Amino acid sequence: MKRFVLRGGSRAGIWVLLAMLMFWSLAPVAVMVFTSFKPRSDIFAVPTTLLPQTWTWDNYATVFTDSSMPRALFNSIVVGGLVAVATLIFCFSAGYALARYRFRGSRPLALVILLGQVVPLTVVLLPLYQFVSRLQLLDTTIGLAFAHLAITVPLVTWMVRNQIAAIPVELEEAAQIDGGSRFDAVTYITLPVCAPGLAAAGMFAFLQSWHEFLFASVMTSSTEARTAPVALTEFSNEFNVDWGATMAASVVLTLPIVLLFVLMQRYFVGGLTGGAVKG
Amino acid sequence: MSVRNIPAGAVGRRRKAGHPVALIVPALLLTAVLMIVPIVTTVVRVVNDGGEGLSRLFDMPNIDTVLLNTLVWTVAAVAGGMVVGCFGALVLQSKHLRGVALWRALVMVPWIIPGVVAATIWRWTLSTDYGILNQTLLDLGVIGEPVRWLSDPDVVLWAVALIQIWVTAPFVMLMVSAALSGIPEERYEAARLDGAGGRAILWNIVLPAIRTTTGICVLTLAIWALNSFTIIYVTTSGGPAGASTILPILLYQAFQNGDQTLVYAVALVQLLIGAVFAVLFARTMRTDLEEQS
Repeated sequence: MKRFVLRGGSRAGIWVLLAMLMFWSLAPVAVMVFTSFKPRSDIFAVPTTLLPQTWTWDNYATVFTDSSMPRALFNSIVVGGLVAVATLIFCFSAGYALARYRFRGSRPLALVILLGQVVPLTVVLLPLYQFVSRLQLLDTTIGLAFAHLAITVPLVTWMVRNQIAAIPVELEEAAQIDGGSRFDAVTYITLPVCAPGLAAAGMFAFLQSWHEFLFASVMTSSTEARTAPVALTEFSNEFNVDWGATMAASVVLTLPIVLLFVLMQRYFVGGLTGGAVKG
Repeated sequence: MSVRNIPAGAVGRRRKAGHPVALIVPALLLTAVLMIVPIVTTVVRVVNDGGEGLSRLFDMPNIDTVLLNTLVWTVAAVAGGMVVGCFGALVLQSKHLRGVALWRALVMVPWIIPGVVAATIWRWTLSTDYGILNQTLLDLGVIGEPVRWLSDPDVVLWAVALIQIWVTAPFVMLMVSAALSGIPEERYEAARLDGAGGRAILWNIVLPAIRTTTGICVLTLAIWALNSFTIIYVTTSGGPAGASTILPILLYQAFQNGDQTLVYAVALVQLLIGAVFAVLFARTMRTDLEEQS
């Protein structure tokens, strides 16, 4: 179909270009994976090699038995779960209203929520920190989850709105004609139809929280609340970095979300591009 | 607003649904608490300080460097992200490739790994003495001696921009790929029947069709770059000697020093820059909103 651009290139040519693209995308990931299996002597060997001379699981042992990482991973799952659930509740109701009703002020309201996406996080950092502090929620998973809603709600409202707008309103009306309330129609028709999309949106919220570093590093300090991205930076101090353990922890942090992404890719990509791109 | 305000005709259909505004209120309250109140606080605090924070900010000896860094970093990140992203999208559109689904999934990896992890990997890859990049370039004879990627003040900003490009380019690939797939086959055939060559098709059919998408991509990349914190903080903390300090890093440093006046001043500057992009963003998305509803 789109032969035109690369028509001059032969079949081999396109594979060379693909190889370049893959090298660019994956070489650093390979560095991460292979370094995580290197013993200390290999890590600081000169000249550096990509593959370990001897393979070892020691770095993973360090991460799981001799660091705060297990607890941090648990905290990350808790925060991400809270964020995903809260985001879906807030955004499904708002997204539904924005997709199905037109009322005075609906467009400005939609824009206000949408513009939440472009507010720099550093700008809200100090006021939000003080707010969470006043609620006595500093250094708790709940306080951090609350702050993370600032990131997820604007984005996910938009994703959910587009998903609901794509479902014909006639489906709901049919249920209402059959004697159901609008609430029944939403519960039995709309929710099941957009369930995969909502799952992807929830996933998306979870991932945003799983990734987040700035709020997490400022609002959590103790092992009981610190999330994995913050814990990752603690394998290093000013003078010494345990690169083997750092890379092993990076792999542990990355692997679950890459797997999730591969499983959910179809919904994920659709939900993301649905808002902005049309044929 | 109350239920009484709904126009009479609408009441019948919406009788049991409650007022739509009630459905938005939770999300809106949240947006207010998390976004609007902090923004208002920032403006009020700067005004109440009588501009003291702003004058201190602009009297800082390195403020010119910080602003210039922010500009260079943003332009480099956006330009690089667009070039790499469009290149990737075009390669993945090729008809000669097999297993495109797999390749498409793989190119997304830099985007879905956590930013802290991306920054950490690159910090190690770019290490002067033990980094694999310097070693490879030395072996290939491209460079004569190791480049101090993250500790040479002349290089560091480009090095961190490279990381930002690596992380964000997949987003552009995704968006541009979707836009390219949306171009109907007939349009190419029609152009070919009219005798258009590859370049003419690229220029007159492909580029106009993906213009909106690339616009959204440029805006999004610019906003991400302007607000970016994690990558620079984890790799260099803004150093060496402030050579990779951009506005968000400056704000964070003021925050860590407990200098609230300065935090609010930097936040206001970031807000004003952000407002320009917000207007552009809102304009692009509003057309989208109208087309859909």
